[in-house]
Amino acid sequence: MDYNFHWEKMFHGEPAQWMWEGLATTMQISAIALVCSMVLGTIICIMRMTPFKPLQWFSLAYTEFFRNTPLLVQIFFWYNASHYVIPAGINEWMNDLYVQFPGPFSLFGYDFIGEWVLFNVEFITGTIALTVYTSAFIAEEIRAGIFSIPKNQLEASRAVGLSFLQGYRYVILPQALRIVIPPLISQALNLIKNSSLCMVIGVTEMMYMASQIESYYAIPFEAFSVALLIYMTISLIISFCINMYNKHFMIQVMY
Amino acid sequence: MKRLVVVLALVLSFMFAATVASAGKIEDVKKAGVLVCGVKDSVNLFGFIDADSKELVGFDVDICKALAAKLGVKTEFKVVTSKNRIPMLAQGSVDILAATMTHKFSRDEQIDFSITYFMDGQKLLVKKGSGIMSTDDLANKKVGTVKGSTSEKNIKNAQPKAQVISYDEYPQAFMALKQGKVKAVTTDSGILAGLKSGDDNPDNWEVVGEFFSSEPYGLGVPSNDSAFRDFVNKSLNEMWLDGTYQSLFKKWMGYDLPAGWQIELWPM
Repeated sequence: MDYNFHWEKMFHGEPAQWMWEGLATTMQISAIALVCSMVLGTIICIMRMTPFKPLQWFSLAYTEFFRNTPLLVQIFFWYNASHYVIPAGINEWMNDLYVQFPGPFSLFGYDFIGEWVLFNVEFITGTIALTVYTSAFIAEEIRAGIFSIPKNQLEASRAVGLSFLQGYRYVILPQALRIVIPPLISQALNLIKNSSLCMVIGVTEMMYMASQIESYYAIPFEAFSVALLIYMTISLIISFCINMYNKHFMIQVMY
Repeated sequence: MKRLVVVLALVLSFMFAATVASAGKIEDVKKAGVLVCGVKDSVNLFGFIDADSKELVGFDVDICKALAAKLGVKTEFKVVTSKNRIPMLAQGSVDILAATMTHKFSRDEQIDFSITYFMDGQKLLVKKGSGIMSTDDLANKKVGTVKGSTSEKNIKNAQPKAQVISYDEYPQAFMALKQGKVKAVTTDSGILAGLKSGDDNPDNWEVVGEFFSSEPYGLGVPSNDSAFRDFVNKSLNEMWLDGTYQSLFKKWMGYDLPAGWQIELWPM
């Protein structure tokens, strides 16, 4: 029984470069998916609140479907279904898409990034799957926030003369979103951790890089513990920032 | 203080028991009555599930059965992938690995290998009529391969401009080729021939290119156990000399062993 740890292998040369590229891709996919899912989640939630029945049913079906299926299944669905659902021309373009970060990037002799793929079909389908999955959860949370606003706010906005959409844009949503920030932050943290599932379709993010280091250099424990620490650091930084924001700006909703 | 002494004594006794218990692999296998082999289950011709009998069959599987017969024990098969086969052997979950594994010096750091029992090389599997004839045509195109295999590194060396995507196992890489997400799949030519023949329309695919790397397969055995490795090498030699190896090769590959290659034969 000999466990020889080779921590020095992780911090120089190719493994270090791969981990930086993986971190960059994780942040990229999380940022894009987060922004898109916030927007999409708000739209789905508004659709749920309209008095127009078909839109309500569509929104209900959307949330129930994408909340109740596992994310891994959804990722595979989007990756494989793109071949059958998207028209052939767009499919060809998407399959050949390969946008790379221009040139290697090194600072003070330490190589940060060698080859960093910015956009390819795996990245696009992974982002779509993450966006759709998280937007279903966000829609439900915003809906809970909207219900916590007293109904007379909406009635007052109608009485003043604002239409349905204007009422939501200027009166309801600003109040609801402030209340619902803590659950939204936990959804954001979930999103960052769920992005690690995209490794199964070949998105070169941090977990993919860690398992590539495991297969090339045979240092699984070191690779995966570095990935673990990086995920924990990212999550802790985001939580800390939001706690600061809460302390300064959200005095009125804190007990 | 007394409890500390008792605990220390127990811990030390476990340590000594652990070192004593790791006797030779041959004795362990004979005592257990079963040889646990790590094999692939989705590589056509080498280790795969037969469609009719639903059993694990293949060239690697038959080699394991022959070795177990020489030891006089039964066989038990555990499915491995290219990524986890070496850790599984190093931890002791399997006794021997027959999983289309190339013998590399860098892998010798963790496990030992038998003599080469199958000689192969790396080629490309492409759609017929795609115009790709060799690795030169793969510049700026996507190539599929499998995580943890030697094919990953070799294709990057042969064509640095190719975009390599690594999948979990060969069927996923082949599916990506069918969907057009990669333009070629690269791995050992035996595995490619298996993928092509296992498909519904084998004529749509062709194996092209020259060998751009050589892949000598070796059976994986645990480190620092010369008795077991010597036994495996001797059994392979015996299988070659009495014709078992040649008949197994013909049974699975469908053609006779190419003249000019033989496994490393040593006098008895």
